[in-house]
Amino acid sequence: MLSDLFFRVRSLFRRKAVETELDDELRFHFEQQLAKYVNSGLTAREALRRARIDFGGLDQVKEECREARGVHMMETVFQDVRYGLRMLRKSPGFTAVALLTLALGIGANTAIFSVVYGVLLRPLPYQDPSRLIVLRETTPKVGTVDVSYPNFLDWRAQSRAFSKMAAVSSVAFNLAGPGSGLDQPENINGAAVSSDFLSMLGVRPMLGRNFDASQDQAGTAPVVLLSYPLWQSHFGGALNVLGRTVALDGRSFTIIGVLPPDFRWIEKIDLLEPIGVKAEDPDFNERGERGDMVVLGRLVPGVSFAQARAEMEGIAARLAQAYPGTNDQFGVELRPIREVFVSDLRPAVLVLSGAAVFVLLIACANVANLFLMRGASRTKEIALRIAVGASRSRIICQILVESLVLAFLGGLLSLGLAFAGIRGMARLIPVDMLSGASVSLNGPVLLFAAGVIVLCTFVFGLAPATHSTKPDVQSELKESGRAMSGSIGQGRMPGVLAIAEVSLALILLVGAGLMMKSLYRLLSVDPGFRPDRVLTMNMSLRTAQYAKDPARMNFWQQVLAGVRALPGVEAAALGTVVPLTDNHSRSDITLEGMALPKPGSFPHPDIHIVSPGYVNTLGIPLQRGREFTDADIGTAPQVAMINAALAQRYFAHQDPIGKRLMFGRPSAKRAPEWITIVGVAGDTKLYGLANPARLEVYVPFRQSASSDMTLIVKSGTEPAALTSAIRTAIASIDKEQPLFGVATMQQLVDNSVSTRRITLILLGVFGGLALLLGAIGIYGVLAYSVAQRTHEIGIRMALGARGGDVVHMILAQGAKIAGAGVLIGIIASFGLTRLMTKLLFSVSPADPATFAAVAIVLVLVALLASYVPARRTLRVDPMIALRHE
Amino acid sequence: MPTQHVDLPQGTLDLLILRTLALGPQHGWGISERVQQISSDVLRIQQGSLYPALHRLERKGWIKPRWGTSENNRRAKFYELTKSGRRQLEVEEDAWKKLTAAVAQVLGTA
Repeated sequence: MLSDLFFRVRSLFRRKAVETELDDELRFHFEQQLAKYVNSGLTAREALRRARIDFGGLDQVKEECREARGVHMMETVFQDVRYGLRMLRKSPGFTAVALLTLALGIGANTAIFSVVYGVLLRPLPYQDPSRLIVLRETTPKVGTVDVSYPNFLDWRAQSRAFSKMAAVSSVAFNLAGPGSGLDQPENINGAAVSSDFLSMLGVRPMLGRNFDASQDQAGTAPVVLLSYPLWQSHFGGALNVLGRTVALDGRSFTIIGVLPPDFRWIEKIDLLEPIGVKAEDPDFNERGERGDMVVLGRLVPGVSFAQARAEMEGIAARLAQAYPGTNDQFGVELRPIREVFVSDLRPAVLVLSGAAVFVLLIACANVANLFLMRGASRTKEIALRIAVGASRSRIICQILVESLVLAFLGGLLSLGLAFAGIRGMARLIPVDMLSGASVSLNGPVLLFAAGVIVLCTFVFGLAPATHSTKPDVQSELKESGRAMSGSIGQGRMPGVLAIAEVSLALILLVGAGLMMKSLYRLLSVDPGFRPDRVLTMNMSLRTAQYAKDPARMNFWQQVLAGVRALPGVEAAALGTVVPLTDNHSRSDITLEGMALPKPGSFPHPDIHIVSPGYVNTLGIPLQRGREFTDADIGTAPQVAMINAALAQRYFAHQDPIGKRLMFGRPSAKRAPEWITIVGVAGDTKLYGLANPARLEVYVPFRQSASSDMTLIVKSGTEPAALTSAIRTAIASIDKEQPLFGVATMQQLVDNSVSTRRITLILLGVFGGLALLLGAIGIYGVLAYSVAQRTHEIGIRMALGARGGDVVHMILAQGAKIAGAGVLIGIIASFGLTRLMTKLLFSVSPADPATFAAVAIVLVLVALLASYVPARRTLRVDPMIALRHE
Repeated sequence: MPTQHVDLPQGTLDLLILRTLALGPQHGWGISERVQQISSDVLRIQQGSLYPALHRLERKGWIKPRWGTSENNRRAKFYELTKSGRRQLEVEEDAWKKLTAAVAQVLGTA
């Protein structure tokens, strides 16, 4: 076997020598034979003739010898590759279109599926993640809410379906700058977790140790685990970081470990502290305090999701009975952790995957068409080669090699495209939307897409080979002119494929059109405020010096005074619950003198705590009454503003000014604290532009001190330019007070529609690709058809048809393909666009205007693509055409 | 005369070549002449089959080529039997004898 291979390889490399030897050997034989005939008395002429007859086809003998030596396989592959490259160079148009199609098809798919893989499919870096469930509470009024700590403790104690349960409570820390030996104070996201949290995930600290069970109890010493990125960026990856302390919220925490680099959680987490540290806060232990906690549970092996849900619902019902004041009507929501990770992007990603598959299909159809048509024009070449002795397998092999060469080159090009695509997409998707998912080139996907297209190339590339290698070679040769060949051979297939391409392109374009209209409608929604030239940034007072209300108020007063004094600042205000951020604070309220509703049906507005100037700075219209003033302080009468929605709903036919409300529900235990309504502000889109306005109540910040506020600054010019001046102003008040989440209001608006915008951009790109490929498809079919019908066109013109008639004929053919494609596409779109309803906004999935516009665009592009080959008929000279082949 | 020639049965060409070479190294033309001679002109090997067969046997390692000088002082490619070629010849001769005996038997009794 090995020696055989050696023999073959040697034959291959000594090809020239072997060929010469073969020549010599055969010539020797021929001459011996000739000499023999001459010696036997034949004339020289007759001897030569006889010797030649004896010898037969010299080339055939040589070919058989080569085959016998086994040189063949390898040598022919090299030969075929060279031949393939030559053929590709000889028809640059075909090659360019085929390469472009391959590159776009494979590249687009690889890019989008790399994102799909990174976001939806890549296994989470946890041990057996399929049994991890995230639990939260539900209430009929608000939907899903976070879990209170006492409820978690009861769940954990009573549940049998979960082998372990851990509480994960989001915490933000103010990491001291100078106080911790760092440059700047910073606000850092972290979590307080049960000691089981990491072991449930199967995550081990890469340095140091995990928390232990004793640290679940209140009163434990303050310790932290650092995330790998924080360790790298703030501590230079120093190994001696263990045992060092950092000042968090003004308190000294000992670093006991570092998390591994691939650690990720639903939210960005840079620090972990034991839940015992957080449990020191008395509020945290209130059953009604549903702060920022989710619960992670690991299902007992063999217990199904449904069983676990049934058990948890039972537990929640028992708790609701035991604690009606806090738990009435509260249920439990269970979701597999994978779903929680991708919830935001999921619909968009699914729609885009579908779009990518369409592009792949279109690319396949295009490649198939190209090869079919090229194959058809090569049937004669192939038939000729068979006639002169090429074997069928030899030709099939050659066509395969040729396809492979093309696919390989296309694959190389697509690699570049995929890289660029992934980069572009990674830049397009906001980091916080990815929940730590990383997106990189995905090899299996690349191979898959390339494989599909190569397969397609083979199947359709082979058609002419199998067709022309049928025994009746002669008929192919005889059929030389293929005179009226409109319907001969592979006639119908290219048309069908082109129709399919048009349909698929239409579906994609309709999708893109619907998204565009949605986004346009969405961005034309009145958000209830004016985002232009407004800068926002957050501050959180977390150190002990701000524990008391007067200290907080004093700080906020100083901030307002300092910022308002900065040059370029037109207005500044403070507020909680700024629109389009994720900060929400809601409470039941009672309106004075109204019939008391049932416990679950009290008005439940969003509560804003704001400084004077808030509505003015944000450009929220004041509809009635007045805004808060500097006189609305703690000792003054309690006042509030309500929004228009609340006024309409509860004061439909009366003036709300002067009416009173209170927070919470009336209770026999305490006297009601009535707050007088002094103004009505316009509604704002707190929960995103697509969501309806909700009830809102504003209270002045000096009557209800808050530790967390967003500073809103209206500037005369570009707002972001003010950032550093504001930082300096704040640092001069408290150098350890971090400013974070700096964003212009316009950025917040943009971010709120980012999923839709990403979807639109990508669908648009895919739609454009589809349109381009579809146009290429139609062009190819018609160009081929024109070439095939040259003879027929010549006859028509000879019989008196004018150029225009022939052009019309070809255009009509293109229009037929486009028409059929559009029709099928529209029918399919009606079914498919329904799937993207979730992504649409005030546009019906069957929006007639979009459908019509897309259909018109497609038909126009199709006609344009038809026009180029149609014009070519004008150059047909009847005399030449009739002699054509 | 064409009627005098007998077509070579499948597989016998290799045997004839090996047997001829067992007598000593020979070039292709020599092999075909020798076979024709010994078989009293009944068997004729076509060049079209002879040379591919020689190259095939060479690849199998049963014969090996050597460039030498022919009787009339021409450079010619001689083939000689290798060790494994000799073994192969024995195997094939044996098989051939069995085959012809069996065929003869059938012809004789039928």
